[in-house]
Amino acid sequence: MKISLLYGTETGNAELLCEELQEALSDGHEVDVANLEDVSPDALSAEAFYVFVCSTYGEGELPSSAIDFFTALTEEKPDLSGIRFAVFGLGDTTYDETFNNGSTILADSLVAANAQQIGPRGVHDASGDEDAESIALPWLQERLAEAS
Amino acid sequence: MTAKVAIVGAGPSGCYLAQALGKLCKEAEITVIEKLPVPFGLARYGVAPDHQGTKAVTRQFAKLFEKQGVGFAGNLEIGTSPSAALSLEELRALFDVVVLATGLSQDRSPGRDFEGTPGIYGSGAVTRLWNSHPEAAEFSPEFGARVVVLGAGNVAIDVLRLLAKAEDDFAGSDFPAGGAYDQVREIHLVGRSPADQAKFDPVMIRELAKIPGLAVSIGEGTALNSGEDDKRLAALRDLATAQPDAITKKISFHFGWPAKKPLRSNGTLSGVLFERDGEEMALPCDSVISAIGYEDDGKLNRSALLDGASTHETGQIAPGLYAAGWFKRGPQGTIPENRADSQKIAALIAEEIAAAPAGAEKPGVAALQAQFGNRMTSYSDWQHIDDVEKAAAPEGRCRAKISNLPEMLAVIENRRQAL
Repeated sequence: MKISLLYGTETGNAELLCEELQEALSDGHEVDVANLEDVSPDALSAEAFYVFVCSTYGEGELPSSAIDFFTALTEEKPDLSGIRFAVFGLGDTTYDETFNNGSTILADSLVAANAQQIGPRGVHDASGDEDAESIALPWLQERLAEAS
Repeated sequence: MTAKVAIVGAGPSGCYLAQALGKLCKEAEITVIEKLPVPFGLARYGVAPDHQGTKAVTRQFAKLFEKQGVGFAGNLEIGTSPSAALSLEELRALFDVVVLATGLSQDRSPGRDFEGTPGIYGSGAVTRLWNSHPEAAEFSPEFGARVVVLGAGNVAIDVLRLLAKAEDDFAGSDFPAGGAYDQVREIHLVGRSPADQAKFDPVMIRELAKIPGLAVSIGEGTALNSGEDDKRLAALRDLATAQPDAITKKISFHFGWPAKKPLRSNGTLSGVLFERDGEEMALPCDSVISAIGYEDDGKLNRSALLDGASTHETGQIAPGLYAAGWFKRGPQGTIPENRADSQKIAALIAEEIAAAPAGAEKPGVAALQAQFGNRMTSYSDWQHIDDVEKAAAPEGRCRAKISNLPEMLAVIENRRQAL
């Protein structure tokens, strides 16, 4: 399956996680990684399975590299029927009121554009004990099993 | 010819620059040089010890040294101070490109009247102490029961929060075990600008609401003078409205009060006098922590370097010499902003490297190893320190940091001898 890992990031942590997931999945899958700021919603293809890895910034907002993508999604309203995706959020429970809001905003806007979300959103807490990859990789393997 | 790049300073700006440059110039030899034996600068020693999620950017930086081929040369100071291993000129002779990313760590003074008064401390010094920075090993401030915090940015709120927390509130952090300030009963945070111009982020205020036992108020002479849509002031009002059942500490916010001078009684600090438009406010206190920003420590002739360069806004001081992070930008901007800036500077450096005519090969890191060999610390030395600190973590802490230089070097030396 062709897998496309797209990150929305402010500090680079989501980018690092995508690179780690790409490395872990590279046997047996065709995996590419891209920054959401270099991706336009109308370029998404039904051939690929999209995994959005997105942090949260400021007052529970999207990180800067996801903003143009989100704006295009909500203003140009492309029809993303046939597009399948999963979302993994990076957050920090130090700021619990807005914990992982960014990934929720992104998932909701994709669903509103008729894309199909596969499985539950995964989340990581930067203030927790586990690193992001050890949570995201098993989560992603479940999503891939559901998507194939 | 392999381009040899030295980045001076292993904090976020230097590491982000190494990360971006490594992707653009896969052939370049990149070495991050650090004054301390261990890496990560502000991420390890400046970000508050109870913000471990923010400190987690170090995982990205670890990857640089573990997998991406970037070198680490620790325990090497560059500059003009007597402890420096090399001058900037000497370093430039060894590398094709040198990037200065040493930050700005010296506390800006709240004014001459405040200097030399016992009981007045800078937020940088205090933050280093709370982060177990080796240069704070001899620092033992006395805060007393009543503290005035000068400043209204996020650092001032960090200081306020760490003074306000009890031992249990530090769970999961690497704040020194047993270090909570139970004797502090009253904290006044005073910003010189009106409330609507204060620089703190609302999430910083909401975080305070999670500390039990704080009675929060807005000072009598302070108006929260803006529209209801200001999230920061709304967060403050919410915080001041919720009153705890059992009060352990009192916190008070004051805005629009420039500090005029410290008050003394029998030679000791007794308070701070504030003044605006001929009106005065005196706050009694036992100590003052000034969190009003940072400046250059002069050890790299920053102002002369930047003033002499016409292109310093791009980061380039001269061909082969760049500035990054706060050293370049001044003491403003968050970690993400400095990341974006470091990426731009890396692109410029990559252009310079690509356009450079073939010339004599510079020795690069090999010359540092030849000259400084044993005294230089490596990334694997840091990994050992990291393991030792994590293994020593007491109950309720994620690590116990080694807080002085001789001990840090001894731990490294012991391991080397055991190998």
